[in-house]
Amino acid sequence: MRRAVGCLATVVALAAMPRIAAAEQDPSTLLASGVAALGQGHADDAIASLEALADLGIADAVASYDRGLAYALRVRVSGEVAGDLGRAVHGFEEARDLSHSRALVEDASRALSIVRAEIVRRRLRAGESIETEPGRSLARTITGLFDEDTWAFGAAGSSLLLGLGLFVRWLARARWARIAASIAIGAAIPLLLAATAMTLAARNDRLHLREAVVVVSNARLTNDRGMALPGAIQLPEGARVEIVEPRSAVTRVRFGRVDGWVASNALRELARLR
Amino acid sequence: MIRAASPTSRCRSGRCVPRAGWVLRISVLLGVLVIAPGVHAQGTPQLRISASADVIGVGDTLHVQLVASSADAMPSNPKLESVNGFAVRGESESPSQSFTIINGVSSSRYSLTVDWTLAALRAGSYRVGPATISVGAMRASSAAFTVKVVPAGQAPAPRAPTPLFPQSPFGSSPFGSSPFDPWRNFLLGPQGLENEPSQEAPPPVAVDPKLALDAPRASDYFVHAGVDKVTAVVGEQVTFSIYGYRDASVPEVDVSAEHEASAPGFVRQPLMSTKDKEAPHVGFASIAGKIWDVRLLGRWALFPLHTGDLTIGPMTVTMARNRNVAGARRDTESLTVHVTEPSLRGRPPGYAIGDVGRFAVSAEVNPRDVEQGGSIAVHVQVSGTGNLPSTVVPPARAGVEWLSPELHEELGPVARSAFGGHRDFDFVVRILDAGNVDLGEIRIPFWDPEKKAYDMARAALGSVRSKANPNASTRGDDTAPERLPGLPLPRERLESAGPTARKYVDDSPVFWFGGLAAGPCAFVAAVAGRASARRASEVWRRRRTSPLAELRARVAAADAACRGHDARAADASIERALYSATVARLGVSVRGALGSDVGARLERAGLAPAAATRLARLLEECEAARFAPDEADIRTVRERWDRAHQAIRELVRKT
Repeated sequence: MRRAVGCLATVVALAAMPRIAAAEQDPSTLLASGVAALGQGHADDAIASLEALADLGIADAVASYDRGLAYALRVRVSGEVAGDLGRAVHGFEEARDLSHSRALVEDASRALSIVRAEIVRRRLRAGESIETEPGRSLARTITGLFDEDTWAFGAAGSSLLLGLGLFVRWLARARWARIAASIAIGAAIPLLLAATAMTLAARNDRLHLREAVVVVSNARLTNDRGMALPGAIQLPEGARVEIVEPRSAVTRVRFGRVDGWVASNALRELARLR
Repeated sequence: MIRAASPTSRCRSGRCVPRAGWVLRISVLLGVLVIAPGVHAQGTPQLRISASADVIGVGDTLHVQLVASSADAMPSNPKLESVNGFAVRGESESPSQSFTIINGVSSSRYSLTVDWTLAALRAGSYRVGPATISVGAMRASSAAFTVKVVPAGQAPAPRAPTPLFPQSPFGSSPFGSSPFDPWRNFLLGPQGLENEPSQEAPPPVAVDPKLALDAPRASDYFVHAGVDKVTAVVGEQVTFSIYGYRDASVPEVDVSAEHEASAPGFVRQPLMSTKDKEAPHVGFASIAGKIWDVRLLGRWALFPLHTGDLTIGPMTVTMARNRNVAGARRDTESLTVHVTEPSLRGRPPGYAIGDVGRFAVSAEVNPRDVEQGGSIAVHVQVSGTGNLPSTVVPPARAGVEWLSPELHEELGPVARSAFGGHRDFDFVVRILDAGNVDLGEIRIPFWDPEKKAYDMARAALGSVRSKANPNASTRGDDTAPERLPGLPLPRERLESAGPTARKYVDDSPVFWFGGLAAGPCAFVAAVAGRASARRASEVWRRRRTSPLAELRARVAAADAACRGHDARAADASIERALYSATVARLGVSVRGALGSDVGARLERAGLAPAAATRLARLLEECEAARFAPDEADIRTVRERWDRAHQAIRELVRKT
């Protein structure tokens, strides 16, 4: 009888194990445990849960945002590990990129400002350059003025206007109609070209642009042979860089006008919803 | 006297004439007796096959050796017919030839030794062979044998293989030491049995199949590099060894490293003491029929730093002794290790890439009672084998401040080919809160390469009793500015359950073809369509008024009229069809022409005289029938139409 009960208990335990494991891997459970740990001030536990969430391949703005907070908390409770500020920046930047919620974007931006201010304060104290955001190129700035869909609809509208103008110019007999059509054609052609170019640029960025955040105190830039670049350029912690060419050990990045190679483990790539 | 004591022959005019006839006769007789069995055996080559083991494990290597000899021609094209359950990893051939002259009789013997290296793929009992070989136009086959393959690690220790033939300065003899070997005396010299190899040859050595290679990399001495695995995860130990192979028949060789093997993608740790002056002997290897003395020149634990195909460069050694090889260089192979990250599945929280091995962690906290604001010491020891973590992340808790630790380590080879030891971290921890402060737990997740799974080393730190101290600096102390003030609150619900990519309008081809290109394309299509329509209309109009179109209409009208009963109308239709035919086909109108003028016009237009006459007659018949007082019979008219139609067709053909 005892043996039978023992066997039954073993079978039940074995059957329950996958469910327990699955529950531990459940995204909502991991987020809940991370948030609970954040509330208790247990930064390591929060980081562990939220990193496990990221390891599951979950690209979610809230998960990234809370992960940024967890790293920031570790800095706050004096348990800081080198690179924590950069990891916090990574979480907030990722949350801003991924989120469709205006409130979350605002919170992430606010947290980002606080963490970046701490990085700048430390760099000032160390006598280092305080440039952490070099700004974007003019083309990318213009592309970023509107959403990709907005550019696409603009291009489609310009195309429609051009088509109508051409037909009216061709078929209309009235002088005023032909003049109006000519004006429409003259306006629609540059609009169509510009909007199409912006749509293509935005689409290219969405599909091919890869960005990362520096998660070490200072990332030294080198050339392709591993020699330090003139002027001993160092990327500051938390800097957002564009990945140009990734390799296994080193990655070529662009930071403003600076272009060079940096150790791959000094970067953490930003997740994108492609 | 001298001439009388000279041997058996004297040459005159290029021809050797026996002088002592009885000696020659005996020699020839002995030669025939000795050679006769060999001559008899010339038609069938001798084959002998052997294997390095009867029972091996899955993944182990089996060496199959075939020795084929023939007096006719060099054996060639060896094949091992059946190797089910094995993968052929290599094949090496060693041909040899012996040539002897005894008492003026010359003879040759050709031998080919073939070594196949097979790797066992699956457990089971497999029949290997037969091996076949070609000698001239003939193909001979050996016997087959059976090998049992057992699961990896269950195979018995490899037996010391007995060399097929004793080592001989003349190469291997296919007949071994058989007393019936007709070649033995030739190979052993005139002393015959006094030089029996079994009496003077060194005792056979035990060769290790694991040290065998497909072929020697150089003569006399070479170096060979190997790794214990060709795929690994970041941080997993890869054991890299370099062996020196010396042909056992050449004198000792001294080597010095000229250029160490480079391994830029790895952290390298030695597994052999540098105090050892002499490279340890690891065994003997049989390669291409020769015995090689193998020594271990160096062994390192390599820990991959990143993913990718990481290369280990060659090591170069220079030989200092003996005289034959002094100054010569030898290189090892370049090796590649494919490195990946450990599986994402089941990865524990906090796992750091590179923490691979088998670790244990222990911690000691002293004292357990402290005043608020005071400090305690926490000693953490991480021990084990593999790539021990160089940092330990202490549990970050509010009210507990961990200062940077002091690090002590004792690492090195812990077994024959493992690297490990322990690292000690001495932390000073400030307790900022009063009361019972829980320090948490030290956790080090790691990847166990043997189990191919994650594991976690843990050490609970317990709690510390902190006695309140009003003078101590605490968390809320105004003198210590708060770090990262004003951070927003965390969110508790995921925005989306999974990665849901947003849809963009320009992802659809409908946008590019329908939305963007539709307007201008529609205009271009309209303009082009209108121009095309105009052109088509013009062509149609031209085609409708052409002589050919008129001819087709007239022929159709004549057909219709001939199907009716009005003979006069039918003749008129036939006449009109004929007129149209001359215009359409010949470009000449005969309307209004009279009598012979019709034929003349048609001939001028290029029509053959007979056809012109026939056409003119038809026109006359039609004319006559139309204006005759009595209406013609409709059948006659139809017959006329048949002829007229035929004439029109011929008119068409001729033009």
